[in-house]
Amino acid sequence: MNTIKRRSFLKTTASAAAVSALPAVPAKALEPPTPAATVVVVHGKDIPKMLAAGIAKLGGWGTFIKAGMKVAIKPNVAWNSTPAQGGNTHPDLVKACVLAAEAKGAAAINIPENTCHPEKSTYKTSGVEDALKGTKARLYRPAKTDYQKVEIPKGKAVKSAGVPKDILACDCLINMPVAKSHSATVLTLSMKNWMGSVSNEDRRAWHRDGLHQCIADFSTFIKPKLIIIDATRIMLTKGPQGPGDLAHPDEIILSTDPVAADAYAATLFKKEPFDIGYIKIAHEMGVGCGDLKKVTIERIEA
Amino acid sequence: MFTRRNLIRLILFVAFALLALGVAPEPWRAGRVLLPALSPLLNLGGAVAAFAFGLLNLLALPLLILPLFKGRFFCWRICPMGFAAETVSRLNKRNAGLVRRVPFLGKGLALVILGSAAAGYPALIWADPLCLFNGFFSAWRAPFTWVSAATGLGFVLILLASLIAPNIWCHRLCPLGGLEEWLTQLAAKFRRTPIPAAPMPVFAENVRVGRRVFLGFAVGSVVGLAYGKAKAAVARAASFIRPPGAAGANFNALCARCGNCMKACPYGLIVPDLGASGIDGLFTPVLKFRSKNEGQEQFCFQDCTACTRVCPTGAIRPLPKEEKQQTAIGLARVDKKKCIAWEKGEYCVVCQEFCPYQAIIEVDHKNVKCPTVDEAKCRGCGACESQCPAQPIAIVVEGRNPQPRLTSPSPQLPH
Repeated sequence: MNTIKRRSFLKTTASAAAVSALPAVPAKALEPPTPAATVVVVHGKDIPKMLAAGIAKLGGWGTFIKAGMKVAIKPNVAWNSTPAQGGNTHPDLVKACVLAAEAKGAAAINIPENTCHPEKSTYKTSGVEDALKGTKARLYRPAKTDYQKVEIPKGKAVKSAGVPKDILACDCLINMPVAKSHSATVLTLSMKNWMGSVSNEDRRAWHRDGLHQCIADFSTFIKPKLIIIDATRIMLTKGPQGPGDLAHPDEIILSTDPVAADAYAATLFKKEPFDIGYIKIAHEMGVGCGDLKKVTIERIEA
Repeated sequence: MFTRRNLIRLILFVAFALLALGVAPEPWRAGRVLLPALSPLLNLGGAVAAFAFGLLNLLALPLLILPLFKGRFFCWRICPMGFAAETVSRLNKRNAGLVRRVPFLGKGLALVILGSAAAGYPALIWADPLCLFNGFFSAWRAPFTWVSAATGLGFVLILLASLIAPNIWCHRLCPLGGLEEWLTQLAAKFRRTPIPAAPMPVFAENVRVGRRVFLGFAVGSVVGLAYGKAKAAVARAASFIRPPGAAGANFNALCARCGNCMKACPYGLIVPDLGASGIDGLFTPVLKFRSKNEGQEQFCFQDCTACTRVCPTGAIRPLPKEEKQQTAIGLARVDKKKCIAWEKGEYCVVCQEFCPYQAIIEVDHKNVKCPTVDEAKCRGCGACESQCPAQPIAIVVEGRNPQPRLTSPSPQLPH
């Protein structure tokens, strides 16, 4: 017994000495203090049904939207392409979300979207304009006066950005990207989607100042209550504009953690999440958890 | 002054002005082509020179037939330019007789235009009154600049001239009036009946129709041929981009500077040229991809054919969407020294992201994707140039004149 005690004593001492000899490493960089994230993955064919099932798993719409709230949604409606081509968020998904917000008594539903193609054609061809007919949702392209400049205190490359006032002033912000390949950032997922919100000047500057860092920086500021990634069909090549090769995972991905949602979505493209620059940086900056081993993935069928 | 005749002319003036201003909703906005297409000088002159004929040419018939029976009915009852010139002329009573001392230059002009058109290079086609009228009203477009207002100059000059020498435009200078006058006299010669009395004072002139027509037309042909020869002799820089469907070598001659295409472009990309296309190309339409708000999409959108449907002379011929997507108006070139990816090793390729024709090929350079241009696919639409975040811009489109038709399939967006 004595010998064991002595041995364990020696071991402890030796390891303590070894640790103290190591250069000081900030604990944060090794283990980001992130709460365990949950990603709900809904598989199915009927988009409204899938959304309803996924939201129920996260506690129901009441968790996110209460009567009188101002809701803002950021879909990806940037390109003049059809729903089947996978360049934009599926109109059925946008509509289902808008209808749910209306049912919960949202006071306003704003969808500011800075398109890449002329907005008139884009809103029409994407199917989103028609899907929103008869709802109270307002899909529009922000004019110069619709932006407000905000500080990004935690940003390393991005110190400030122009963001639509409706996004800043809302009570419930929902990020609703489509998952697809991207020429510059490999994939465009939820965090990348904010580039369709910030002003054109910012969008340009980000390309000059290190795209991945800028995307991660902005995510330290913008805090969507809910992330819904459209992965019903995903563009594997020629993104973001397309047309490219498509795959049909028939999934929508829901989470409150943008990094976890993006990390899971990356696996649909057979990519390591941390091979995507902005996912890795955002994880390290503590925006969320991109380490899928620590993320609870709940799969449901609908 | 406020007679029934003038009231009708005023109403017509306003209607034509509204048409040129483009207040009609789509697709009726293409109706701006109707007024200038009435002029046989623009319409037939252009068609003959371009050797391209279409249904639109039928619109030139009324002004060829009407003077045979009714003299210059169009001039005194309908023409909005004439109405404006006549109204302003009333303001100066003192110089009313000045016009008598000037020969009818317009008759010569008409023959020069038609003669040179037959030779392929219609000279002075821009002096047509309907085109000058349209040019003034189509100049009111955003963004309004001194350059964009250039097409409105002729209208203002005519009014100024009318103020100094009343009635000089309609009675002495107007080439369309000149054509109508020739036809009136021609009819009188054969029909041996008096020309219907004009409601305007007619400043009589003794003419021998046959020889003068022959002479004028011959002079025009010589001018046209000389123009064509001179044009071919002068090598030109390719630094200007024409609207899709633009004619090749004789574009500057064919273009009437009516401003219709400039006004029709929904993105405000088409502006009057200030000399890049040659001295004879002054105020002809060229595309500038960075003319307004930086960063907005300001490129020749692949689904849009608005500018090709409003040309009265055929300088720009109507293109169906599929053909527009195959027409290369220019070619993009990457300046590697300025490019964010090539020079700084940043992930960018915004040019590739925005290219509607998938004409940007990425090459690996120090583990970063860098852009190069596929010449067989690039249509010169300017999506890359309008979005390039580099300062200064690293990808710029150079015009291709004449515009080649590319056989490489265009990715259909949307299906």
